[in-house]
Amino acid sequence: MTTYDVIIVGAGAGGGVAAGVLAEAGLSVLVLERGGHLPPGSDRRDHVRNQRYSRHGHNAGPDIRDNPRVIVERDGKERVVNPHEPGYHNNAAAVGGGTPVYGAQAWRFLPDDFRMASAYGTPAGSSLADWPIDYAELAPHYDRAEWEMGVAGDGQLSAAHWPRERGFPLPALPVTRGGEALRAGAAALGWDVVPIPALINTLPYNNREACTQCQYCVGFTCPVDAKNGTQNTLLPRALATGRCELVTRAMVTRVEVDGRGRVNGVTYVDEAGTVVRVKARAVVLAAGAIETARLLLSSATERHPTGLGNRHDQVGRHLQGHYYPAAIGLMPGPIYDGIGPGISTATMQFNHGNADLIGGGMLADEFIDLPIVFWSRNLPPDLPRWGAANKRFMRENYTRIMRVTGPVQEIPSPEARVTLDPAVRDSCGLPVARLSGTTHPETVRTAAFMFERAREWLRAAGAERVWGQPPGLMLSAGQHQAGTCRMGDDPATSVVDRWGRVHGHKNLYVMDGSVHVTNGGFNPVLTILALAYRAAEHLARVGV
Amino acid sequence: MTQTPLTPGQEALLRAAMNRIVPADDFASAWEAGAGTYVSRQLAGDASAQIDNVAAGLDALEAEAQASHGLGFIALDGAQQDALLTRLERRQLDTIWSVDPADVFALLVTLTMEGFYADPGNGGNREAVSWRMIGFTGQP
Repeated sequence: MTTYDVIIVGAGAGGGVAAGVLAEAGLSVLVLERGGHLPPGSDRRDHVRNQRYSRHGHNAGPDIRDNPRVIVERDGKERVVNPHEPGYHNNAAAVGGGTPVYGAQAWRFLPDDFRMASAYGTPAGSSLADWPIDYAELAPHYDRAEWEMGVAGDGQLSAAHWPRERGFPLPALPVTRGGEALRAGAAALGWDVVPIPALINTLPYNNREACTQCQYCVGFTCPVDAKNGTQNTLLPRALATGRCELVTRAMVTRVEVDGRGRVNGVTYVDEAGTVVRVKARAVVLAAGAIETARLLLSSATERHPTGLGNRHDQVGRHLQGHYYPAAIGLMPGPIYDGIGPGISTATMQFNHGNADLIGGGMLADEFIDLPIVFWSRNLPPDLPRWGAANKRFMRENYTRIMRVTGPVQEIPSPEARVTLDPAVRDSCGLPVARLSGTTHPETVRTAAFMFERAREWLRAAGAERVWGQPPGLMLSAGQHQAGTCRMGDDPATSVVDRWGRVHGHKNLYVMDGSVHVTNGGFNPVLTILALAYRAAEHLARVGV
Repeated sequence: MTQTPLTPGQEALLRAAMNRIVPADDFASAWEAGAGTYVSRQLAGDASAQIDNVAAGLDALEAEAQASHGLGFIALDGAQQDALLTRLERRQLDTIWSVDPADVFALLVTLTMEGFYADPGNGGNREAVSWRMIGFTGQP
């Protein structure tokens, strides 16, 4: 049997980067991905099965059959949910993970995002903590991600917020009509704005075409392959070395360890249902914050009865994502210009320094809404959901409505967590993830504040009427799921060390959002990519 | 598991109800725009677990119309139909329903809107009529 240098579980953002870095460093790599390939442009006509509207399924997986989870509600009631149903907290399952279909916002976290406990103190009931590394330590890896994968942005305006070595390889996205109105509003309010950085080819890059500014960006693959994910950058580079194998439709069921606690491979179930055991000198978990935690927990042995890396009951805790308080504004005239992806303008006026609040978040304009998405979430609360008045409102106002929202930095709770469900099993016979708890109440307070800022911005941009509602206390994870294997120097309060290595298992790494101590007030993908570069470079350096 | 498809009578009721959810004006109604094709496809596919509830709801809608007006739902005028559908939403009914009227109606509203506003490739929104109506410029 072949022994690989490294097996990577999950071909998403983190796993894709790890594959590229390790294969190019000369290591032999096996990547196991439970989803399949998503060819560019294969899915854009499915308006009812995508991340923005998933009532009938997900174009990027997982299969809505045989992949349940259990969600424990605040009142203690339990529900079994499928991937497209509320409460599941789905992340895509495909080659590239969510990156073929994401909105591709490419934010760095701010220096203060790495030191939240020092900056604000830890509120009672929260597990708010500092990262063991700081911004400066991650900055070169952000830079590498931006230049190797291709990020469009404005280096000069960006440098006002983040110390950076150089600009972006691609010019920023076009400013939309809505973005112009928001920029005028921000100027009137005295707020700073920044063009939204995105992993999108605004010019040809990496031998692929430029964005055609279509209306189907978020939720769908790019028809001209101008959206940059790991599926069209690091994974092809890994495969081109001849040292990397990618197996799709492969569900890893167990990380295997020897009697001394050394990881020596994994077991997976292939497309035909055959159980396969593969050996490796090191294993990288990059299955997303929920599935990575589940896999560590379900890989328990006699010696590790509560799961791998879980001696201190930390695996699966501090689950977090982002609250998205959204305000919707009706403008005096049409502002829709059809220029995709639709996002162009953000303010970082409120990421930090808000009196009496812990952190804050970024606010931005929105992607072009598909008509059915618009109907489902942008209509005023007093409008009938159907009938002549509904049809007339859609007709008169689709082009006049703007939405402002953004990710709120969550204050983590140790009670928001992934455990193994004692009863429900998936098609491989494994216990499914059981999700319980909520974020800390401080997150709700910040979200209410950010909602008011979103309203204020729309008013200043000229909106005649503004509506929306700030979110209440809930569990938040979803596509931005993070935190379940947090990084730290102390094994008693963390799961991985500063290099992403699981405490107590020197050849087992985590390279996905699980390791985030906190999740920033930004879309987290660029941080996942940068951390994976850093951890994979380390693994290549120390060897297997 | 196979579900019984809707009877011709139930389908006629479905059509009448959908044409109140998105009524005709100078743009097509839901049914004229092909949303019925979409809804039938969903009830035979991803939403197949709901078809028995929908069938029971349509039968109950007809019984409710008879009890309130002495006429079938289809024979009522548009204003009467709207008033009756609004009573479903509010669960203010004269007859006993075997299914939750508000839940069934909410499902019909959502499926109808999907059939009217989603991509023609999803089965409805014939010639992207709703997109022309609202000004969405995506290519179908």
